[in-house]
Amino acid sequence: MRWILVLALICCSLAARADFDYRLEPRQIAESVWLLEGSTDNFAAANGGNIVNTGFIVSDQGVLVIDSGPSRRYGEALRQAIARVTDKPVLKLLLTHHHPDHALGNQAFADVPIAALAGTTQLLAEQGEAMAENMYRLVGDWMRGTEVRLPTETLTPGPLQVGNRRLQLIGLRGHSGADLAILDETSGVLFAGDLLFYQRALTTPGTPGLDLWLADLERLQALPWKQIVPGHGPLASSAAPFKQMRDYLGWLDGVMRDGAEQGAEMNELIRTPIPERFAGISLSRYELIRSVSHLYPRYERARLRRVDR
Amino acid sequence: MALDWRSWLLLALFALPWDSWGGEADPVTSVMWDYYHARLLDGAPFVFDQRVKLQAPPFAEDARQVPIQVDASAFAGQVERILAWAELNPIPQIFDFAPGERVLLRLAIRIRIEQATPLRAAVLTRDGLWHVGSTQIDAAGGGCTAPSVVRAQAGWEEHLGEVLGRRFVLADASRLRLQIAHPMDNGLVGGIPEFYLNQAELRDASGKILARLELFPAVSENPTLSLDLKDEGETELWLRDNNGNEFKAAL
Repeated sequence: MRWILVLALICCSLAARADFDYRLEPRQIAESVWLLEGSTDNFAAANGGNIVNTGFIVSDQGVLVIDSGPSRRYGEALRQAIARVTDKPVLKLLLTHHHPDHALGNQAFADVPIAALAGTTQLLAEQGEAMAENMYRLVGDWMRGTEVRLPTETLTPGPLQVGNRRLQLIGLRGHSGADLAILDETSGVLFAGDLLFYQRALTTPGTPGLDLWLADLERLQALPWKQIVPGHGPLASSAAPFKQMRDYLGWLDGVMRDGAEQGAEMNELIRTPIPERFAGISLSRYELIRSVSHLYPRYERARLRRVDR
Repeated sequence: MALDWRSWLLLALFALPWDSWGGEADPVTSVMWDYYHARLLDGAPFVFDQRVKLQAPPFAEDARQVPIQVDASAFAGQVERILAWAELNPIPQIFDFAPGERVLLRLAIRIRIEQATPLRAAVLTRDGLWHVGSTQIDAAGGGCTAPSVVRAQAGWEEHLGEVLGRRFVLADASRLRLQIAHPMDNGLVGGIPEFYLNQAELRDASGKILARLELFPAVSENPTLSLDLKDEGETELWLRDNNGNEFKAAL
């Protein structure tokens, strides 16, 4: 009887292990620049949280990795994927920001410097545990063994030389409060982090304001980029992601501004019709519900005045 | 005593639960309904009734500030009280609302939830029947036991009872939106006893009560609420907390 149980357990664990494979396929998008494109869905047990774009750049000295993904398993899979492409060592991991889908794979990079803006490290220290807990709830066993690992190096915006590659680090804050965008000068690939979402509704927890975000977009668009890797959504070689972001942010801002002006309640706002032109953007209703929760209190307070006596 | 077949039939009919009596089935999955039916509605007759519109987001993005909105307009002229509660909350009750004639049967407020839960709004009509509106909300949880945001702000005591508000013209009503500065301590956060607004009255210029509202500490910090009135006459909001502090606002 007992051996049947043991056998069953082994079978289960084998099946489970086979299931928890992210099957990461790096795609070369420019000379020595590789992209790992996630889906535009929400976090789910079916995708293990792989809804994010990560990437890496291979210099003559070694590899620079951009974001570590949503889990320890993802981080490890990313290391293996890199090793399949190049035998050069990983030199450094850069984090675009502190959100769980970008920074919870850090454990797999414990042997190299993990570099981020000071604000990113602070936000990850404050919110990391709670975000990781929520990820366990959302994607389940994919997260096994995942713990928050804080950056070990503080980045300052400006040029960064990695081997023979010269990068520009741009420090912004419109999406999360501390956002890093990375321009590879050699290839013209811009890793925009979550300042750019494309064909996927943008997320707003922690944004200091949509107006700041719009200003950040202006700075990014002015850079000499040739290709854009958004934080979520497909690679682009035109300004289409910028156009869509501006349109969408403007709409979101207008919905809440008008709502506050007209005395709308949150439950009324979250049922606002999504404009036809955003039909191709994944998860717009879901993210509208979230954004109203994050941001509407600011808009409504701005319209209220003291009435106590 | 021997019963004839007619008496048996009558008995059998009474033995059927009220909700299977031609009414709707419970639209949410609930393990607590019988308990709340007995405890909050005194076991009185009820129907699950979709005409009581209870709206909430499908999930709580911020479990400390979950917007809910009740609309019982379908029962205009017949309503005595509207009760609302979150079934799986440690502190389930949200409000007990007694709307007068000049107030529409609509109320919006923000609440805390501790976990995914069914939400209920029960409307008592003059015929003694409770009409129960329901919805379900998903949540990561923790809203009731999260540290106070208000108390983390230095000098919050000086702002206690400040009211932000404004009147808005809706298509069919005059809406009062109000936000009252108050920590609404529910006693579940370590070392801080219950301290919350528990009574509110909306009065007209002559002091006549337009609506009465009893509040419970499932209501969020800095309570945010909307009341819809039929006319644009001047109103005064009177509030009291469980420590006896009274606050007033005019709109």
